[in-house]
Amino acid sequence: MNWQALSSRLSDAALALWSLFALFLLLAPVLVVVPMSFSASKGLEFPPQGFSLHWYGKLFADPLWIEALRTSLVLAATSSLLALAAGSLAAYALVRNSVVWREAIAASFIGPMVVPPVVLAVAAYLVYARLGLLGTMPGLVLAHTVLSLPFVVMIVSNAVAAFDERIEQAAISLGASRATVLTRVVAPALMPHLLVSWLFAFAVSFDEVVLTFFIAGVHTTIPKKMFITLRNEIDPTVTAVSALLIAVTVLIGVIAVLLLKRRILTVVGAEKT
Amino acid sequence: MASSPALPFAGGIRRRLDRGVLVLPGLTLLTLGFLMPLALLLPQSVQDPDLGFGAYGRLFGEPVYLHIVLNTARLAVIATICCIAFGYPLALWISRLGPRMRIVALVALVLPFWVSILVRTYSWIVLLGREGVVNTVLMRLGIVDQPLSFLYRELGVMIGTINILAPFFVMPMVAAMSAIDPRLSQAALSLGASRFQAFWRVFFPLTVPALVTGAFLVFIMTFGFYVTPAIIGGGRVKMLATLLDYLINTSSDWSLAAALSFFLLLVTLGVFMLARALAGLARVGRRRSQ
Repeated sequence: MNWQALSSRLSDAALALWSLFALFLLLAPVLVVVPMSFSASKGLEFPPQGFSLHWYGKLFADPLWIEALRTSLVLAATSSLLALAAGSLAAYALVRNSVVWREAIAASFIGPMVVPPVVLAVAAYLVYARLGLLGTMPGLVLAHTVLSLPFVVMIVSNAVAAFDERIEQAAISLGASRATVLTRVVAPALMPHLLVSWLFAFAVSFDEVVLTFFIAGVHTTIPKKMFITLRNEIDPTVTAVSALLIAVTVLIGVIAVLLLKRRILTVVGAEKT
Repeated sequence: MASSPALPFAGGIRRRLDRGVLVLPGLTLLTLGFLMPLALLLPQSVQDPDLGFGAYGRLFGEPVYLHIVLNTARLAVIATICCIAFGYPLALWISRLGPRMRIVALVALVLPFWVSILVRTYSWIVLLGREGVVNTVLMRLGIVDQPLSFLYRELGVMIGTINILAPFFVMPMVAAMSAIDPRLSQAALSLGASRFQAFWRVFFPLTVPALVTGAFLVFIMTFGFYVTPAIIGGGRVKMLATLLDYLINTSSDWSLAAALSFFLLLVTLGVFMLARALAGLARVGRRRSQ
């Protein structure tokens, strides 16, 4: 083997080793939580000692966590449906090129994803304080909807762009109204994308912590309660919450992959459209 | 555009209006919950108590605040450099994998990307604690003989931040690298380039636009990062976002909070435009040299 072949082998091996190490570093924090949540010990230990469900028992016996879960679910359900309805209609209008200032509007829909959450949190706090929306559910729903909109608009825009407009024109020439075309032709064809964007919108809301922490007042969501708990003390109940959140994330991911198959790669940005 | 044969023009206009209306519900929500609050930051930063730029004067005049701004910028630069060093080789490796293995690697990348930041931050608290896994391993290996303290310090905050933000850099890098035609590198090799030359003179320049965009993205995200610095830093690592939390929730200094947020917003927009311009330049440069 000549020197060049040897050195290229070595550099390939080094690259693979480094990458596996990097992937390990990314995955380890996620994986470490699950076994720990079943630990029988009183404190945080890794590797965990014994098997027990007592952190889960403690979690579900705590009315504050249950209340937080309820608020999170209501908020995520409401805001994700709103974002799905408003976002997919907007995406359709924007892609079909029938809106004035199309570029600017499309860009501003992506805005909530780009602006640092803390900036939006302060801006919303100051406006809400003056409008009396601080600590109210409508205020929270509005904020969560706006944060989910970019995901819906992006996913649905891609889907609409890939949908042959001539099919819509055929329906219209056969006498269908615009509304019928949307509900009976476009929506059924894009159903997988609509479902995935709804799931993502739900996940965005269910995960949201910064805005909620600033504007929620007395309302408490799961992430807000986790954040406050983590800032104050180390409470192993959080381990059980974390393990459950990981399970939900994996579940949502699996459903999204089943719905979209390979197209999911473009949705998460790991492949170009 | 096919339109109704009888009244093509009127039909076209009406359809345009119909469809245009569909953007309104979303736009209304966006205006109320996003555009308006951001637009009102500037007027709110120049009033209360008196009309004027007093808040900005305090922000850049008082050493406490200026120090935090500069410190946050420094940490954001460190995080960006680390993300590139950590993520570029990883993205390169993933993009060279076969289709099956690439899916496996992408799942391993997407899973942490989608798991709540809070969960991952919590894990790092557990891992980096005095009796955590990291210290146990370091001591067993004899690298240190006293447990290192990571928590409530910049080191711990940086480890957590880089780990949490790295996927934002790696994912688009993988996409960009996978889109590069492998025959370009093969052509370079067959024309006598060494692997080193084929990489640095053919492949790497093609990835520069995505590299620039991703790096600036990480910079902005660290610059405004709140959750992880607040938890791992425990109030002892001062960054812009934790300062905002203090101004709003503790001292109720609204005009200063508005001024600081507006500044952060301007930096974000500025960095984005810079990234776009630089990525565009890299593309133009490439076209020239071809």
